[in-house]
Amino acid sequence: MPPPIQDRTNEFRSCVDSIRSRSSLTRGGADSKQRLLRNAKTTAKTEFASMASAIGKDINGTNIKLGKLAQLAKRKTLFDDRPVEISELTFIIKQDIANFNKQIASLQSYVKQRSAQGSKSPEAKQLEEHNNNVVMLLQSMLANTSMTFKDVLELRTQNMKESRNRTEQFMYSTSTATAQAAASSSMLYNSRPDPMGDGSPSRYDSKGKGRAPQNGDVLALDLDSAEAGIPGTQNGGAFQQMQLVEQQDSYIQSRSTAIESIETTIAELGQIFTQLATMVAEQRETVQRIDADTMDIASNVSGAQRELLKYYASISSNRWLMLKVFGVLIVFFLVFILVS
Amino acid sequence: MKIFSISVLQAPSSGASSLLSNANDLSSFSFYQRGSVGEFMTFFSKTVAERTQAGQRQSVQENNYTAHVFNRGGPEQLAAVIITDQEYPVRPAFSLLAKVLDDFVAKVPQDSWNNPSSISFPELAAYITKYQDPRQADTIMRVQQELDETKIVLHKTIESVLQRGERLDTLVDRSNHLSAQSKMFYKTAKKQNSCCVVM
Repeated sequence: MPPPIQDRTNEFRSCVDSIRSRSSLTRGGADSKQRLLRNAKTTAKTEFASMASAIGKDINGTNIKLGKLAQLAKRKTLFDDRPVEISELTFIIKQDIANFNKQIASLQSYVKQRSAQGSKSPEAKQLEEHNNNVVMLLQSMLANTSMTFKDVLELRTQNMKESRNRTEQFMYSTSTATAQAAASSSMLYNSRPDPMGDGSPSRYDSKGKGRAPQNGDVLALDLDSAEAGIPGTQNGGAFQQMQLVEQQDSYIQSRSTAIESIETTIAELGQIFTQLATMVAEQRETVQRIDADTMDIASNVSGAQRELLKYYASISSNRWLMLKVFGVLIVFFLVFILVS
Repeated sequence: MKIFSISVLQAPSSGASSLLSNANDLSSFSFYQRGSVGEFMTFFSKTVAERTQAGQRQSVQENNYTAHVFNRGGPEQLAAVIITDQEYPVRPAFSLLAKVLDDFVAKVPQDSWNNPSSISFPELAAYITKYQDPRQADTIMRVQQELDETKIVLHKTIESVLQRGERLDTLVDRSNHLSAQSKMFYKTAKKQNSCCVVM
């Protein structure tokens, strides 16, 4: 995006005027008639200057819009595309370029007319040359803008093609591929001799600098003819047919994708169920171990209880044993007393 | 996610279309705007139906309204238009349109089509209210939703089964330990009985 061009011809002109008036003063004689004539000339000049400056400003604005369009067209996202904005911008820029064409043409005719009627004095010649230079400058600016516009359009078509390829990859539809090929070959490679979409041939044959924009209009989207049957979804003529065929299939495709997703969900559910079954089966063995262990515990504890009962029974029943025990104790007691 | 209107039109391929049946849900607009909005809906539906070729589906966007058109063509040259806001999912809109057309053809006899005011098709109003929430009304979406719910429930089940596994592991350890202890207890008790014969 070239840096915005500052149109300083106004300042230049005012400098020239002031110098000229200064030199005319020194030359002697502020002849009022001469002064008036000069004023008339300056007003005529300023009229030209105002027209040229208006055109320059508009071209500037269009360059800014073109920069925005280039930004939008560069985006390579698959789903976040904003075709409405892009087509609106494209339309606006096209119209602006057509306007500039007309304005510059009128400016040029105005200059020619003035040069035809004007006097052949050296300063008038200089003025004429200056005007012609200004017009050439404006034309070259316009040519640059149109070139950039063409580049942006090419980039946009490329990106759309790529995004279409990518969506195809995800969707496996051969029908769209064939339709697309047919549509693109019919519309994109059709060299359209109608530049700028306003039905008029190029206007700057005079300087030869205007040849450049005409090539750009091979890709210029002719909005009027494409708009005829189909309202609003996209205003790009080259993509109109592709869009149509896509819409036909897209409903069916979206249905099939929805049903496929249901199918995958059901398959997933099946998998989850089998996983569940596996996990529970693994836990079965653990449960069996626990079962066996509890049986062991039960038998051990009951056996221990039996023994203790026996022991208690033997303890509580054996008085004869108790007498024996006490007898041994008394013997030891007696032995100890006898010793001491 | 709202439906504003559903209409059935007769759209011959040449010339103007005629509105056969129409149902609006303009409750989201203020009372004084409803008249003009209703007229706009009618006009929009007619225009869009006229510009759609037979056997073709289309979606048109205008400010915040999206119109989905299905021109069935065929011998009856019927078309159905539904006007929604921009969030309404596209595919259920088209399946709704196909359904509406089938119902219309089945219910309303063809000879009354020349006299639109005599056609009574109250199912359109029923459809509007039902399809305000497409997730419940559209079959495919409802099935998908139920499947998703089932999947969530299954995930929870699997989590609880995992927890069960952990608990079972702790149970195994404890029962092992308990079994060993009870064995020791039994041996000690037995020893008590047999060893100290002296006493």
